[in-house]
Amino acid sequence: MKKLNRRHFLRGAGGVAIALPFLGAMSETASAAPFPKRFIAFFTGLGQVKSAWAPSGTETSFTLGPVLSPLAKHQSKLLVLSGIDMESAYHGPGDPHQQGIAHSLSGTELEVGNLFPYACDPTAMVGWGGGISVDQRLANQLGQKTKFPSLELGVQVQYTNVSSRFAYKGAAQPVPPEDSPYQLFTRVFGELTGDPAVKQRLRAQRHKVLDAVQDDAKSLALRLGAADKQKLEHHLDAVSSIAARLDAPREIGGVCALPDVGGEIDVYANDNYPAIGKLQMDLLAMSIACDLTRVASLQWTSTQAGKVFTWLGQSETHHSLSHSSLTDEARQSQLVAIGNWHAKQLAYLMDKLASFPEGNGTVLDNTMILWCTDIAQGQSHARRDMPYVLAGGAGGALKMGRYLQYAGDHHNNLLVSILNAMGVPDTTFGNPAYCTGLLPKLLG
Amino acid sequence: MSRTPRWSLSCSVAALLGSVAVVGACTGHLGDGPEPVVEVAASVCATGIHPGGAPIRRMTRFEYNNAVRDLLGDATRPADSFVAEEEALGFNNQATALGVTQLLAEQFMEASEGIALRAAKDWQKLLPCDPQKMGEDACAAQFVLAFGQRAFRRPLAEAESARLDQLYAWGKQQYDFSTGLQLVIQAVLQSGRFLYRVEMGMPDPVKEQSDVTALDSWEVATRLSFLIWSSIPDDELFDAAAKGALGDAAAIEKQARRMLEDPRARDAVANFHAQWLGLGRITTITKDAAIYPAYSPALRPLWQKETLSFLDHVVFDDAKGDVKTMLTAPYSMMNAELAAFYGVTGPKGAAFEQVSLNPQQRAGFLTQASLLAVNAKPNQSSPIHRGKFVREQLLCQPLQPPPNNVNIQPPEVDPKATTRDKFAQHSSDPGCAGCHTLMDPIGFGFEHYDGIGQWRDQDHGFPVDATGAISATRDSNGAFDGAVALAARLGESAEVRECVATQWFRFGYGHGEEKADACAMAQLQEAFRAADYNVKELLVALTRTDAFRYRQVVVAGK
Repeated sequence: MKKLNRRHFLRGAGGVAIALPFLGAMSETASAAPFPKRFIAFFTGLGQVKSAWAPSGTETSFTLGPVLSPLAKHQSKLLVLSGIDMESAYHGPGDPHQQGIAHSLSGTELEVGNLFPYACDPTAMVGWGGGISVDQRLANQLGQKTKFPSLELGVQVQYTNVSSRFAYKGAAQPVPPEDSPYQLFTRVFGELTGDPAVKQRLRAQRHKVLDAVQDDAKSLALRLGAADKQKLEHHLDAVSSIAARLDAPREIGGVCALPDVGGEIDVYANDNYPAIGKLQMDLLAMSIACDLTRVASLQWTSTQAGKVFTWLGQSETHHSLSHSSLTDEARQSQLVAIGNWHAKQLAYLMDKLASFPEGNGTVLDNTMILWCTDIAQGQSHARRDMPYVLAGGAGGALKMGRYLQYAGDHHNNLLVSILNAMGVPDTTFGNPAYCTGLLPKLLG
Repeated sequence: MSRTPRWSLSCSVAALLGSVAVVGACTGHLGDGPEPVVEVAASVCATGIHPGGAPIRRMTRFEYNNAVRDLLGDATRPADSFVAEEEALGFNNQATALGVTQLLAEQFMEASEGIALRAAKDWQKLLPCDPQKMGEDACAAQFVLAFGQRAFRRPLAEAESARLDQLYAWGKQQYDFSTGLQLVIQAVLQSGRFLYRVEMGMPDPVKEQSDVTALDSWEVATRLSFLIWSSIPDDELFDAAAKGALGDAAAIEKQARRMLEDPRARDAVANFHAQWLGLGRITTITKDAAIYPAYSPALRPLWQKETLSFLDHVVFDDAKGDVKTMLTAPYSMMNAELAAFYGVTGPKGAAFEQVSLNPQQRAGFLTQASLLAVNAKPNQSSPIHRGKFVREQLLCQPLQPPPNNVNIQPPEVDPKATTRDKFAQHSSDPGCAGCHTLMDPIGFGFEHYDGIGQWRDQDHGFPVDATGAISATRDSNGAFDGAVALAARLGESAEVRECVATQWFRFGYGHGEEKADACAMAQLQEAFRAADYNVKELLVALTRTDAFRYRQVVVAGK
């Protein structure tokens, strides 16, 4: 990693480097914490082998099972949540995978539409997800000051359909992830280097051009019919968001250093899944350390993408394995190995965030990661008793290091609790019919 | 380009117990047989004008690349690095699936900056005037009007040109003349007027139908150029638009026929073929070299090129140019390397040329390695995927994904059994049979082709049995032996021909057919029939429907 100039950074107490933007950010965050809170949605598909996923023990004294064991060193920063139902995902159109992924962060029914066929109903077609996802809600609230309101990263998500999207800006507005670490690097870090005078000129020009583009779009929108107008307004929102952030701080220094993405490898080759995943996590962690964004998602492939975990000695696709019977020990143990491997990736991401000092702790202490999935387990495709993990510190909003067993509480309650923990005091999220309030015992 | 491969291989009876409702649904679909795509009473369409829906359409990456090439001579394909289009109905140009996220808006911004910078290398080429003689500001004002009109595909409104003039003036004042012009290009390329096809129609509705209006000539020119070239109009179309000369069907048809003779039409049609047939997936498939020693990854682009060149030849160069020829032609397009792969003689070099094939073994695109390899497994053929392809892409009968709680595991490659035998379980398993009888018996007809599309008489030492059967179609039901016979059957099928027109409707108009489109669809199908299913005529027919020439009146905010 290359460390560049530090002139835009102050030395905080104890000699810890503090990036200037955080000072300005204090008044904006609802929490009194001196550092911004960050949120990361971490998605892996096809559920877990429940018996191997669940910890044993009590709320405060528990042992992680074979799936989560790689997270043991971070156990004091985990909340393992069982017994939560994705109730909303039993309503509205879509097959379980489509519902599971689209509801995972939105808690809202999919749209009826003519875009995608689905299992179990030969006469019906489904559209996109029907509402905003919790990461985008947070981006709207917490992402105003950073260069990017949110960043969406994928690891071989590749497909472009309703079964492959979990972030939504609103109904029928999927937010696609960037699968290429190389493109992501250019997008996120490309402007951090270079001649300051050239960058200043570029910013000034962009302001002018984007002002003209926005004026143009506004006058055009006024003339369009409702549906077209809405589409153009979403486009306008995106342009406005870029314009509003042109002057957002973006400098190398302190813990913020240019990540090294190395020589380019094939982004979509099956066997590059681990390497691409690691690169994406490196970039994600550094984007947060550099305060280029405070909200992000990392999506590990698509639910039915046919990924084969060859590096675990496997030869069947994850999707095919997930359909195996609970008594098929050979295949179930391969699913456990896949879950365990993904837990290792989460542990790696936590390690990275913990490597950035912040105040008396680390960036991880001020970050909340939600590990979510589309279905509880592949064999039944149930969306009840979902295997959720919260990780990090959320700036002290959550009392971590616990195993909480719920009894059918709705996942919309989890989502609204996350908003509250992040300092966004919403009282409901998703379809309010499936949201009865905060999850008990979760918030510290 | 690719679709989610939802289908896996086999079902197990045990896992299906308890999913009766699901099975019932699939069986019900089978028993009913497919309906015509859109049904409408002829009397409804006999009077009045029925344009159907026409939402604003955002450019795809393909269209963006073509547009900046034709607008500024920039052939660098800047959109290749844009985020992939969200896909619907197998196509990447469907209006409802194409929005703009922040990521894409950033990419539009950066692309526009790069394009402007490249344009600045040679203003002489782009400016309609000489700034030295005329004065920089006066010449820039001319450029704004001329460039803006080509980019927006209609004359600029005063507010629009004023906005761009101001931008130029700021850039010149702050920096220099060239910067001022670059900022104009950036703003134009990020405008909704460039990125979307926006239509307002004529100011007045048509007689006796207050909710329908004819498109003006600028809008018709844009529809023509994007339909046939996937790009902006050329000078001749712009001239016709400026004269208001695209108001009647004959003038539109004349332009369409002219445009079809331009090489740009071939690229646009190839784009359709690649998406319709799912050829984009070729780049991501892998094959087991131990099982297929003849395979090398370098064959994949050749396979794709074979099918696209073949279809290009049928559509543009073949005397009949019809659906039947696509399916049954006893020839293909190959270079020396491909010919060696297929074991045929003829081409000597890297260039593709027409090659006659053994008509007992090959017929049309269905028996080409591209489709056979894409619709196969890395280590074996896949009757399911091949049957599914025929059912969905050629018969326009969408199949549902398998029931969710089915135990789907591919049969292992077994040296003691044919692929056919291993896959036969579907048909005997009552849980799977409902849907798989729609696919597998068609797919079995392809068993003479292995997982990379090479001909085989034996599979694991057993003679190949390539007998198959089609069911649940309007006019193709019954047994057949081999894919050549299947292709001949499908080549005669009205249902298949209708499906080709339906796919073109979706691709050409950017949306799936809905009730409001029934009359336009009926017009299209009738014209296709009248033209003996000639595909070029189908493209012309797409410009002759009510849906092409008219639209619903736009009411702001409604």
